[in-house]
Amino acid sequence: MSEMIIRAEKLTKIYENGYSTVALQDVDLEIPRGSLSCIMGPSGHGKSTLLHLIGGLDRPTSGQVFLGNLDLTAIDANQLAEVRCRRIGFVFQFFNLLPVLTVLENVEIALMLAGTPPRGQREWAEELLDLVGLEDKLQARPNQLSGGQRQRVAIARSLANDPDILLMDEPSGNLDTKSERELLENIEKVNQRGKTVVIVTHSPTVAAVAHRIYYIQDGRLQKVAQNR
Amino acid sequence: MTRGKLVFKNLTRKKSRFLFTIMGISVGIASLVTLLSLGTGLEAEVKKQSQALGAELVVTPKGWCAYEQISVLTGETLPEAIPNADVEKVAAIKGITAIPYLVQRTAIKNQPVTVVGILPKPMKQFKNWEIDRGDYRLDQESAVVGSSIAQQFELKTGDKVTIRGTEFKIQGILKEMGNRDDLVIYLDLATAQKLYGVGDKVSFIAVKVDDVTQMDRYSQEIQERANVAVVSDKQLIRSVLAIMGTVRNTLQMIAAVAVLAAAFGIINTMLTAIHERKREIGILQALGAKRRTIFSLFLYESALYGLLGGVLGLAAGFALSFFAAPYIEQSEFTAFLGSAQSVKMFSPAVVGQTMLFAVVVACLAGIYPALKASRLSPVEAISYE
Ligand SMILES: Nc1ncnc2c1ncn2[C@@H]1O[C@H](COP(=O)(O)OP(=O)(O)OP(=O)(O)O)[C@@H](O)[C@H]1O
Ligand SMILES: [Mg+2]
Repeated sequence: MSEMIIRAEKLTKIYENGYSTVALQDVDLEIPRGSLSCIMGPSGHGKSTLLHLIGGLDRPTSGQVFLGNLDLTAIDANQLAEVRCRRIGFVFQFFNLLPVLTVLENVEIALMLAGTPPRGQREWAEELLDLVGLEDKLQARPNQLSGGQRQRVAIARSLANDPDILLMDEPSGNLDTKSERELLENIEKVNQRGKTVVIVTHSPTVAAVAHRIYYIQDGRLQKVAQNR
Repeated sequence: MTRGKLVFKNLTRKKSRFLFTIMGISVGIASLVTLLSLGTGLEAEVKKQSQALGAELVVTPKGWCAYEQISVLTGETLPEAIPNADVEKVAAIKGITAIPYLVQRTAIKNQPVTVVGILPKPMKQFKNWEIDRGDYRLDQESAVVGSSIAQQFELKTGDKVTIRGTEFKIQGILKEMGNRDDLVIYLDLATAQKLYGVGDKVSFIAVKVDDVTQMDRYSQEIQERANVAVVSDKQLIRSVLAIMGTVRNTLQMIAAVAVLAAAFGIINTMLTAIHERKREIGILQALGAKRRTIFSLFLYESALYGLLGGVLGLAAGFALSFFAAPYIEQSEFTAFLGSAQSVKMFSPAVVGQTMLFAVVVACLAGIYPALKASRLSPVEAISYE
């Protein structure tokens, strides 16, 4: 297959608070550019931890993460923030949006943090919300949206700074099947635009559209399944 | 979207908490402003009162403290301690004019009023008084009053006032002088001494010298001849200012402490806000916000508390000093602070100092919470339940 955009080498994460929890152990993994991948596995076995390490939200206890040629374990906190800002988009299961801001502002804030001046933000933010079918909810507050709509705002926002990689942690975890299908359509649309998408999920529906599935168990990568 | 907009929306999201925190600062700032602006005209006011006294030297009983010296200028009741013999000894010195004062109090319509026993003729000459209405006669049954007293109690010539159970007819009303002389009822010295049962004693003697360059010599001579102490008007002003200054500084310190207490209110509010917004901080970090971005967002929020509280406090403080000033003339410590002339409203210096203080204190208060917010690890913030 093509070039690997994400590579993890001997990735280990041990949480130390009082006693040590080995959340991830010696994980080697490669994710091809432009793919749609799933990370699956039982609860509490290290999936979120893996996603956070890949996305530069946290640092491994040992091992390395590469985004292309960039070693995330070798750069400082500011550079890591820069990577999260421009190269990665995150979508979490709950609570993606800032409750005091409107839908539009929630997308604009990602642009603001990347240094886009206020005048340049609006048009692009509207376009992104159009893409996920929320053009009529621009001025709504997060608490006026359904769970599915909120996740679509989060997807729109994750695309704001045109990142290479979208990382989603159980994005459909609390959605009904209809909302999940709508969300999946949006995810596939984004993937077809060339974004590499990595989704942590328990849902077989989501797994069904993935090119690759990584199974994590007891903090180790058990197997990689190719869908197509 | 701008940072300012985000900060403002966050600031006002919990309305009551926002209001109470702002009020904490406003109250502190208001008291500070009141005390600062009440003190701005202090020195000029003290000098004016000293000028009104019109003496280069003041002869006092031995052992008077600065507190009593202030009263010479404010018109408080004074102990009577200089016997007539000493007054005569002082008056006998060549080249000086000695004007004895007996300062007492009475009440009209339950309001305290200063009564001063004087030697009518020398006093009038000494003060260059002019009569507005009636004539200048002071004896066993007649009194002369200052213009403000006449106005305040709606007194006309021919009216009667009762002082210590004795009725006096108001013979004359003085022309307005624009100083404390307007606030006094004047009696003949001997009459006042009898009325208040103080024998032949007076409170102090104002002394005017013919040759100002010889002041030290006069001062020495007075103390040699009579068993009294002498202060110059300069010394008087200095010691009054020193005391008033101490009082003012102490009050301002207390007000500053009130603002500091409000600073803890800011810290508390910000820490609560950060605790509540932990996940939002995590989201911002996931979106690429750097530590210094998070830090500045929260610091601006604190600074805004200072700015808004400062503005509100300034407004309240000026209103307070405007309305309160006329009511706090009653005690010797506030007599100068409170007089209307000493309140310089909207002094740019006061506004500047206060706003600076409010914002600096708020920023200092904001540092710890903002640091705490910026040091949250993104994962911890996101996985926080
Ligand atoms: N901040 C933390 N401090 C300590 N231990 C943690 C922390 N985060 C996760 N863990 C532990 O690490 C292990 C892996 O957690 P992780 O969140 O990666 O699991 P998961 O596979 O995402 O589970 P789920 O499907 O329930 O989301 C768990 O045992 C968890 O208790
Ligand atoms: Mg998880």
